[in-house]
Formats: sequence, structure tokens, C-alpha cells
Amino acid sequence: MVLYCGMGIQLIVVAAVLCVACQGSQQQEPQPPAKLAGVRVVDLVPLSLSGETWQDAEPFLALYDSNPKLMAASAFTPNPGGSTSATAPIFVSNDGGDSWTLRNTLPSENMTADITHAVGANPPVLYAGILKVPGAPLNELKANDFLSPATMTLQSSRADIDQPFVRTAAVASADRVYVGLNDFDAPDGRTATVDVSLDGGATYRSRRIETRSTLGQNGPSIRPAVARDHTVYVAYFGWRSQAGSDVMSDVVVVRDDSGATGSAPFKDLVDPSDHLPGRLVATSVTIPWSNAPTLGQERIGSTLSIAVDARHSDTVYVAWADRVGTGDIYTVHLRRSGDRGATWTGDLRRVTNATNASLAVAPNGTVGLLYQQVTGSGDASRWATRLERSRDGFATHQDLVLADVPATTPAFQFLPYLGDYNGLLARGDVFLGIFSANNAPDSANFPQGVVYQRRVDFPTHRLLDGSGAAVAVSIDPFFFSVPVLP
Amino acid sequence: MHTRSAILLAIALALPGVPAVAQMSRAALVKQSDIIFIGTVTQVGAVAAPEVPASNRTVVVRVDQVLEKPAAVALATGDSVTVEAARPGSLKAGAQATFYTNGWIFGRGVAVREVGHELGHSPVAVADQEAAVSKARLDLNDADLKAHIDRAAMVVEGRVQQVRTAELAAAPGRPRRITEHDPQWQEAIIQVQDGIKGAQPGEQVVVRFPGSHDVAWVGTPKFAEGQEGTFLLHVDSTTGSPHTMIAGRSVLAYTALHKLDVLTTQDATRVKALIKKP
Repeated sequence: MVLYCGMGIQLIVVAAVLCVACQGSQQQEPQPPAKLAGVRVVDLVPLSLSGETWQDAEPFLALYDSNPKLMAASAFTPNPGGSTSATAPIFVSNDGGDSWTLRNTLPSENMTADITHAVGANPPVLYAGILKVPGAPLNELKANDFLSPATMTLQSSRADIDQPFVRTAAVASADRVYVGLNDFDAPDGRTATVDVSLDGGATYRSRRIETRSTLGQNGPSIRPAVARDHTVYVAYFGWRSQAGSDVMSDVVVVRDDSGATGSAPFKDLVDPSDHLPGRLVATSVTIPWSNAPTLGQERIGSTLSIAVDARHSDTVYVAWADRVGTGDIYTVHLRRSGDRGATWTGDLRRVTNATNASLAVAPNGTVGLLYQQVTGSGDASRWATRLERSRDGFATHQDLVLADVPATTPAFQFLPYLGDYNGLLARGDVFLGIFSANNAPDSANFPQGVVYQRRVDFPTHRLLDGSGAAVAVSIDPFFFSVPVLP
Repeated sequence: MHTRSAILLAIALALPGVPAVAQMSRAALVKQSDIIFIGTVTQVGAVAAPEVPASNRTVVVRVDQVLEKPAAVALATGDSVTVEAARPGSLKAGAQATFYTNGWIFGRGVAVREVGHELGHSPVAVADQEAAVSKARLDLNDADLKAHIDRAAMVVEGRVQQVRTAELAAAPGRPRRITEHDPQWQEAIIQVQDGIKGAQPGEQVVVRFPGSHDVAWVGTPKFAEGQEGTFLLHVDSTTGSPHTMIAGRSVLAYTALHKLDVLTTQDATRVKALIKKP
């Protein structure tokens, strides 16, 4: 009896402790924020492809200032016609992102390896950089009308290239195109390169931007950003040494003040330590290079983003991911310069176990940081896609959860699982972006709401094909728009 | 003589319903198409969905029967499809035909670009057309496989004994690159049970394959220890290092990078039959 009583007291005490822990935990859990007015999240997969189950990873977005209705988007989405198709598709919207169609206009068999794109000055011109299937050569492409069914036109091609990343600038005479890429045929292991076209893609010239010794190459991510005054910044990883699967790297930013039109471009920003072009924003960071499921089911090793305030080119932000070494897998860092890259803050944000950082600066100065973060562990782990917005250079920020989905389902079909990058842009008073995520139609997974074009049944959380049969959960690209801060 | 034959062939191709020519033509149509259906033209110069641009080549077709389509595509009897005709004016309202097409625009509805069509005498005998298209597809698949067999240096039925990391000699002057698209070459050692072409039973062959899960290698066959199958093997011209070692001997390495290069054990019978075909 006493024993029972004692056990009872112990049980009560344990239960009380657990209850307190539970309450404490609940209080610490980030509560689902109230829905923010003006936020849209749209699954890009159209109704007529409701039966698709592919891993539509690594999304990207392009849009026009002059026509807010026109947008192009891409992902590792195959031609629905199958593996023998001669072309790969691109998503197109002509209603500002409310609806999307898929069109097979890329000259790549079935799908592309890598793809990014950006618009020309005049809609609907579109430039794209792809790694073409088969063989993965770089193709630099142009469409005078990306809404047309015509296959995009090849403007330049070569082999041994990784991660083409396209940005453009509008000038009176012709579009300028900047394609950041890792060129393995560059001399002396200084592979960080920007292909520059000053004539609307008719001709390209490869500009080498690494000036220091490397371990034999730079990292894959070479990211340009262009301001309205034609200042061009480029961020890249200066890979210096390797220990096992870890790479010791500098995070470097170069700048050109005249749109890379001169004979020796990207030398306008010099580091005070060695007087070489390329400001060292961070030195000797540890990049864990893992081409296997490592963070959630995602690989890691090349997260890097840069954004310039297009109207005030003195202000520029850089985000990258590395391993800090405090039990993290991969940590995103955000830094800012207010003097054209000459000096940089320390970390304004440090987000543990996150990847796919993308930055954009809105016309009113609001900066957006998009990233995807693994929370929880094991079967309970989740991918949270978050957009942080700041009006004061990230002294403070507001956080928005766009998606919070299971991280263990679906099982990966290939890598990257969600992408080696995603996309964030700003136009007027909105951020417009794209990310990939588990597509289970569960409202709880999308705190800001979500619109599906494909057939779904929300009450049962099921995807349906054209006949109404259940379809397996997969990875889909999601477009979003979020108001900037006033 | 050649000119006369060509003219006769051209006339025959232009006449639907001539059995031999229709059969030949159908094979070509099926080969180039991924969406095939029987349908009836309901509108000319119109579209079935607003996201598709109308032109004098677009017609709206009511689907009477889907014969072939990719699994992901939502298309069923009764749906209206926009068809961009191969030639303006070639499709009249009320015409029923078998449409051989490729996907063009996928939105709320499906829009397709016509490769060709076979006009039918309404009502088209659906079962007959379904069987004909199905047979044409099977014949094409056999022809594809036969071509792969002919190109293969070796065809074997066998079992994967071991999988190991490939030790590739670096090409002179080309340092190894760190890239997410690295194939991460592996080698499967296959014990040959039946040397169907170019090999003997009991022989061991080394097959290289990408171990990488990167998107650039999605769909490329992978091998696992204990795996059995029928394998179409090609002399390695991909890695830049054509030889490998087995039991202390230098031997040619092979690859099997196409999905048709790795078949099931049961497929051996079909492969042997195709080898005997002229």
C-alpha cells in the first residue's frame, strides 16, 4: 500500500515534471503566425499534370519590372512526354503568378541538369543558362518570346562548366547578360568566372574573377548581382585547402563599377590585407562538401547568395552557409556592407541547419532572406521554408513561415532533394520567390495558405490524378509573393 | 524507275486506308508521338483553354478514346484538347481521326502539337485502332532494343558478384574536379551465366556505372551486389580510362548507361529472339 502510494506520488511528480516540460516546450515552440495579408503561395504543377510524382527540385524565377503579369520559372521538371523527349520544359505565367503552364521550349533531352534564367529589358525576352542533357555542356540560350512554343535559341556553348547563374541588366542599346559559372577549363585552378555579354547574348566573353591561389578550383557557386547604376557585384567561394570532405574557403566579393564593360573588369574592390581584387568577407570558413543526403535528405556544400540595393548600390548583402562546429550540420550567415563592399558587418543572422539562402532588396530598402531549415530530428524532422524581412539592415526582422513540411517524405529520387538554390526577387512593394517542398495538401503545412493548380483533396490531404485516384506525395515548386515591410 | 517508285510511294502515303502504307506510316507516327488519341474535331481556329494562343492551325478536339499518354498527364474520354495542326486547314469540324501528337502546353487543359493523323470513317473502330497502335509501339520498342543489342559489344545474362569504387587513372594535365555532378564511378563485377553475345559462361566482366545520385545521372542504371539480369555492355568510352584490373589482369572495362542496357533475367529470351532477327 505504501509502496503503491509512494509510486503514486512518484508518478504524480514525474507527470507534473513532464507536464511542466511539455508546457515549457509548447511555449518555446514557434507558434504558427497569423496569416499575413497579401501573401500568396501557389503550387506550380498545373491541373493537367495532376498525376506527376517527380522531384521538381532546384526552382528558379524570372520576372519583368515593366510587365508584372509575365514570369518564367524552372525546376528539375521533366518533359511530361518522357525520357526520349528532345526538349525540356519551363513554367510560364501570364497572370502575375496566379496560374502557371508548362511549355517544352528548352533544347535539352527530357530535362536539364542545372538551369537559371533572367529577363531582358523588353518583355518577353528571356535568357537562360543550362547544363544540357546529355553530357551537361553549358548552353547559353535566348528566347525573344518565352511564351512562344519555339525552342530557345542557342547563343553559346562549351563543356566543363558548373552552375551557370544568370543575371541581366537593361541598357538602352542592348541587354547585358552576366552568367556566373565555375569553369573547370580556366587556367591555374582559378575557376570562378563570369561570362559577360554586352550585346544581348550575341557574344560572350569569359571573365576570370579569382586572383588568389586555390586548392585547384573555386566552389560551384558564382553569383552576380546588378544595380541600376550598372555596378555589378559577384560573390564566390575562394576554395583554399581541403581536409577530407571539408573545404577551407574564403567568401569573396568582387565589384565592377561600369557593368564589366572595361578591359579588366571586376577589379574595383580590393582587399586591404593583400591589395588583390576581391574583398574577403569571411576567411577560412569550413564548407562541408557532401554529395549525399546530409541535411534532411539534402546534400550541402555550395549555398551562396548576394543582393544589391538596386537603387543605392553602396548597400550589398551576402549570405552563405558553412559549418560552424558547434554541433551544427550547416549554418547560414548573413552580412551587410554599406560602403560598396569595402567593409562588412559581422553576422547579422546565423541560422543553424539551414540551406538555400536567397537574398533580395526591395526598392524601399527592405531586405529579404529566404532559406530552408531542418527542424526536429528523425521521423519528426521537418523542412521549414522561411522568409525573413528587415527594414533596418537586419537590426530587427520579421519572420514568415511559408511552408513547414515533413523532411523524411518523400524519399529522395536524386540529389539535390530541394535544390542547390532557390529564388528570391523583389519588384515594387513585393518579394516574389520560389522554393521546392513536399507537396502534401495539408493546410497545416502552409501557415500562410496555399493554392494548388493540380487536383487535390484537402480534407483527406490527398493528391489526385485526373481520374480521381490517389497520387503519391512528391516535391513540387511553389511560387510565392510577400509584401515588403512598409 | 526510282522516280516512278517515289511518286507511287508519295501517292500511297497520301491515301489513308491503304493498309500497307497506313501500317508503315503509323509506325513513323507512333515513334514521334507521346500522346495518341481518337477524337472528333469540334471547332476550327479555336482553343480549348485560355492559356493557349489561337491561330488558324489550332482546332479543338473532343477526346473519344485515349490510346497512349504519359502517366502524369490528365486526359480522358470527353475532354476537349487544343490541337495545333501540322498543316493549316487539314482538319475540318466533325472529322474523326486518330491523332498522333506531342505535349505542347500543359495548363488547366492539355494542348498538343500534331505529328500527324489518320482520318477514320466515323465511328472509328476503337478496338482495332487501339490494337494497331499498341502493336506499332511494341514493334518500335523491339526495334529500339534490337538497335541497342547491335551496338553492344557484349550481351550477357549474369549476376553482380561485387561492387567496388573505380580507380580511374587521371587524364594527364586534368586534375580531378570537385563538383556535385561528379559521377563517382563504381565498378560492378558480373559473373557471366550465359554469354549471349561476345562473352562466355563463367567469364567475369567489369561494368562501370555512376554511383552518384546527382540529377545529371538520374535514370542511369545502378548495380548492386546480388543483382541478376540481362546486361547490354559497351566498351567504356566515357570515363577516359578504358582498362581496369581484375584478378591481377588488365581487362577492358564496359559501361551500361542507358536504361535499355539493364534488363531482367526474363528479358534474356526476348533478347535472344531479337538477335536472331535480321
